[in-house]
Amino acid sequence: MEVVLKICRFDPKEDILPFFQKFPVRMEGSQTVLDALLLAWQQDPTLSFRRSCRSAICGSCAVRINGQPALACQTLISKATENGDLITIEPLPHFQQLKDLVVDLEPFFESLRATIPWLILREDYEGWMSPEVAHRLESPATCILCGLCQAGLGETEEIKPATLVKALRLSQDPRDALGMHRIRLMQVPAEVLQLFLRRLPEKCPKGIKITAAA
Amino acid sequence: MLMHEVLVVGGGLAGLMAALNVSGRADAAVLSKIYPTRSHSGAAQGGFNAAMAKDDSIEAHIFDTVKGSDYLGDQDAIEVLCSDGPEVICELDRMGVPWTRSTEGAIAQRSLGGAGFPRACFAADFSGHVVLHTLYEQILKQGVRVYPEWHLLELLMEGGRVSGALVYDLPRARLEVIRTKQIILATGGYGRAFAKTTNAHANTGDGMAIAYRAGAVLSDMEFVQFHPTTLYGTNILISEAARGEGGYLRNARGDRFMANYAPEKMELAPRDVVSRAIFNEIKEGRGFEGHYVHLDLTHLGEALIAERLPQVRDLAIRYSGADPARLPINIEPAQHYSMGGVRTDIWGMTPLPGLLAAGEVANLSVHGANRLGGNSLLETVVFGRRAGRKVAELAREETWPSLSEKTVKRYVDPWNALLAAEPGRRALDDSTFAIRRAMTTLMTNQVGVFRTGPELQDAVDQLQQLKERYQKLGAPIGRQPFNYALMDYLEVGYLLDLSEIIAQGAAARCESRGAHYRMDFPQRDDQNWLHHTFAKRGKKGPEFSAGPVTITSYEPQERGY
Repeated sequence: MEVVLKICRFDPKEDILPFFQKFPVRMEGSQTVLDALLLAWQQDPTLSFRRSCRSAICGSCAVRINGQPALACQTLISKATENGDLITIEPLPHFQQLKDLVVDLEPFFESLRATIPWLILREDYEGWMSPEVAHRLESPATCILCGLCQAGLGETEEIKPATLVKALRLSQDPRDALGMHRIRLMQVPAEVLQLFLRRLPEKCPKGIKITAAA
Repeated sequence: MLMHEVLVVGGGLAGLMAALNVSGRADAAVLSKIYPTRSHSGAAQGGFNAAMAKDDSIEAHIFDTVKGSDYLGDQDAIEVLCSDGPEVICELDRMGVPWTRSTEGAIAQRSLGGAGFPRACFAADFSGHVVLHTLYEQILKQGVRVYPEWHLLELLMEGGRVSGALVYDLPRARLEVIRTKQIILATGGYGRAFAKTTNAHANTGDGMAIAYRAGAVLSDMEFVQFHPTTLYGTNILISEAARGEGGYLRNARGDRFMANYAPEKMELAPRDVVSRAIFNEIKEGRGFEGHYVHLDLTHLGEALIAERLPQVRDLAIRYSGADPARLPINIEPAQHYSMGGVRTDIWGMTPLPGLLAAGEVANLSVHGANRLGGNSLLETVVFGRRAGRKVAELAREETWPSLSEKTVKRYVDPWNALLAAEPGRRALDDSTFAIRRAMTTLMTNQVGVFRTGPELQDAVDQLQQLKERYQKLGAPIGRQPFNYALMDYLEVGYLLDLSEIIAQGAAARCESRGAHYRMDFPQRDDQNWLHHTFAKRGKKGPEFSAGPVTITSYEPQERGY
């Protein structure tokens, strides 16, 4: 089918403000928005967007598709054209646009330091963990640091979403000496944390669910 | 000018493991073309082999690996790989890797192809991902400097040694020189040389090609792994763990055809054997629609699939529209891994002083002619750790190598010219896209699972023509931030160099061994070909020579499964 991509363009050296450029591309419904972006790139090689794994495990191609933050490689054309054959693609909201669909990721990766983002090993750990406890760690450990949670939930001073996921994942690990102190150190109000945990699964491309928090 | 005693190029498992083992001992930095957590190590699903269980043994792991390599693996390196395995797995456990556990609470292990024992440690089917993110946590803990989205352009040679790197800062669109005592390459493979590959867009063989251009030896490049089970059409990886957990392969008649190829191991024969079997079924008319076979997990039950193979299930549903708990998955083999790479010793050291390599970019060789599932993840952490320890020692002992302004200028000038070139210089009737398309199609069609002399020779000729077209392209576009067209242009250049070596090596090797299968020479020939293929850059292209295989315990035998 014929699809039109309406892509937000911005070159800091040339443009005062972002603008939209349209790219007609021929697609199958089973292809992805990333496939469409790669075709647009062949029409105009100056178009910049990040991509790598094309299977939703690296998090590079996080953009805003028809207003919603999403991974381009995880969004099928059939889904993106449900309301018409025009697909609007913009950079992630709540991130600074650097060029076209590329946003500044430095503050995002830096924000991990708002917690202690590594395990502090308990001295009495002897190498054993129950399979049930291990299974609980799995969902938060699938975080790919794509930034969609931050783009979808926004970021206030109390809560940096990906950092909170990391902190919760580590705090629930029986090997960790810090445990829930890690969360307390972040001083997140309990009601904010609960609201976050309720809304996270719908914003996260991995559908991360964290139970038994705080 | 920046200075780091040790520069690790590549932020995947091997690179991060190397950097961690330098930190605290010498000054280390990681340079990575994408953010480290986006590295393709994260896409690895199946697991890390290590002989941990009471009934298993390191000796058994060594033998399985030697046999899997079709006796081309260097047995001294394989001994290191297998012996260090259990210790490294425990080290990762103490860093916080969320391994899946057995009912007793030990690190669980599953079966992968070519192994005589369930030996792969895993975390559901996110094994590479969780270890990558755990190592990244440790990088933050150690305060290792990371240069994300910086690309290596050249190794700076002076006085016969590597004394620094010329790099390109993509976000700021500028060249930088980094002075170094030691560089560890951990840049992964070149899967994007093939049209059908499981590899990420970033896997363009940068490190291999740059090392080759600087004078390093590439070894065994004709040995390319094709993974048996990738989604038909998109070639997204469906882990070997799907068969490890009990999945069947079926042809269009519904038969488990592996019974005819590997009656003992069946679906868990090594990848070279299974990929050939699948293509043979298709060739003889037993494929579906003439193009693919089925990976059938329906008998495993929804609960097991949800617990052990959640990512496989998601990928199959999303990209092929079928839930593997209810319907078989349409699969075809595709390029997956490079057995060949930058030749190193068992410490990761190359013959070029100041340069080491670890992970897929390197050739030790622990995989020989065919890699076993679960051994590449193990290789990244075992040899990343060793290379890190080795350079820490070297960097402490030695003074800064000299790097004169004259040398730097000689390297930098052509790049400045390229970056300043007007886009108008581009040959408008041709493009990197067109050349890339021609190259990848050629490699998949003529340098794939089944090879013949005439097709390989034709591929060599066509690659030569593509290189000539590439030379005429000139600069793709002017200077700007996030200039992916420029990166694409460079990457196609790397891939052309490597494709040429792969195709020439394959055309020269007149035998079938592991993943290299010649229909015109279907037997292994130990008399003439039990040796490595070394390729070095010469004036008129690659120059080939033979290198000895290290055999310690296991003399070559017939390889059956």
